[in-house]
Amino acid sequence: MEKIKANLIEHIKTSFVTAKETDFDGNRLDFLVDKQCIPSILTYLKDRLGYIHLTHITCIDWLEENEFELIYIVWSPEEKVKVFIRTRIDREKPVIANIDMIWPQAHTYEREFRELYGIQFEGLVAPDEFILEDWTGPPPMRRDFDTAAYAAETFFERPGREDAQDVRETITKRSGEEIPDFAKKYSR
Amino acid sequence: MINDKNSQKIVDIIQNWARKQSIWVLAYGTGCGAIEIPPTMTSRYDAERLGVRGAATPRQADVLLITGYLTTKTLKRVIRVYEQMQDPKYVIGFGSCTINGGMYYDSYNTIKVLDKYLPVDVYINGCMPRPESVLSGFGKLQELIADGKANGAQKYKDNLDWYRANQKRIIPNWVMPDYNW
Repeated sequence: MEKIKANLIEHIKTSFVTAKETDFDGNRLDFLVDKQCIPSILTYLKDRLGYIHLTHITCIDWLEENEFELIYIVWSPEEKVKVFIRTRIDREKPVIANIDMIWPQAHTYEREFRELYGIQFEGLVAPDEFILEDWTGPPPMRRDFDTAAYAAETFFERPGREDAQDVRETITKRSGEEIPDFAKKYSR
Repeated sequence: MINDKNSQKIVDIIQNWARKQSIWVLAYGTGCGAIEIPPTMTSRYDAERLGVRGAATPRQADVLLITGYLTTKTLKRVIRVYEQMQDPKYVIGFGSCTINGGMYYDSYNTIKVLDKYLPVDVYINGCMPRPESVLSGFGKLQELIADGKANGAQKYKDNLDWYRANQKRIIPNWVMPDYNW
């Protein structure tokens, strides 16, 4: 396993000089690359090194750093190693290359990211709507979108019961227990 | 003779008795609650002994069971299904999501109070309600039908404008046929 991983790191580092690797225990290996490298590194992994299976694409919203992180997970059935390719893109202008000509299943992920995070994929040909219907607000999975406030102003809310009371003190008195300190701040 | 008040009452009693004995539920699950329906219908709890059974299409069904959370996208379909059903028709709200939003209270895409959009006859609370509670809900619905109090469809007809206004508030692109029966 270690030998396969060392070999892979050597291969990637020769072709993509800016890639930074992180080693994990087991069969996992991480590379942080520039966003321009994404199509070429994925093609290289697929065509030359046998990483033929795209397991997953995921997106993380780093609001504090004003960046999105996209992670592509690929898997080699021969070497039994999974490789994570990470890249960071600007949150204000999230544009990245489309990879659905490398793996057709990436199309679905890209449509989802376009709708839920507002990331634009260059050259992606797909209808505008994916899961949401008649959505006019900001992309809802971004962390600066306040879902609670949106739900409060869009949907009706059922008011709570007027005779609802905090019965915990009565119960603790009856059963001879004490309310722990950490729970007191939730008292009404 | 039939215009006589007492004979009408007798007709109503017989009619309601017949209706409560055969509640056909539309096989349409909106949320996770639909998973409680198979055990309710099959041999362990056997809802069919109460006359509750599945119906394939809206026009054959008497009861629309809203099982769990209802997204705005599903609400559009549910309204359409409800308006296709023929009288007598009843709605059962199933699970806490239909009552006050449940665990999806802050979701951007699920409604919280079902009875603002459709006339609900019976609510079954719980997350999830077990088959016993489902059966008890059907029992309650049978009681209401027998007393002639399950008149959600009439309420919907009478207050159609109010329901429509609420529905159109969250479905901006309204492409439904008119409801006129």
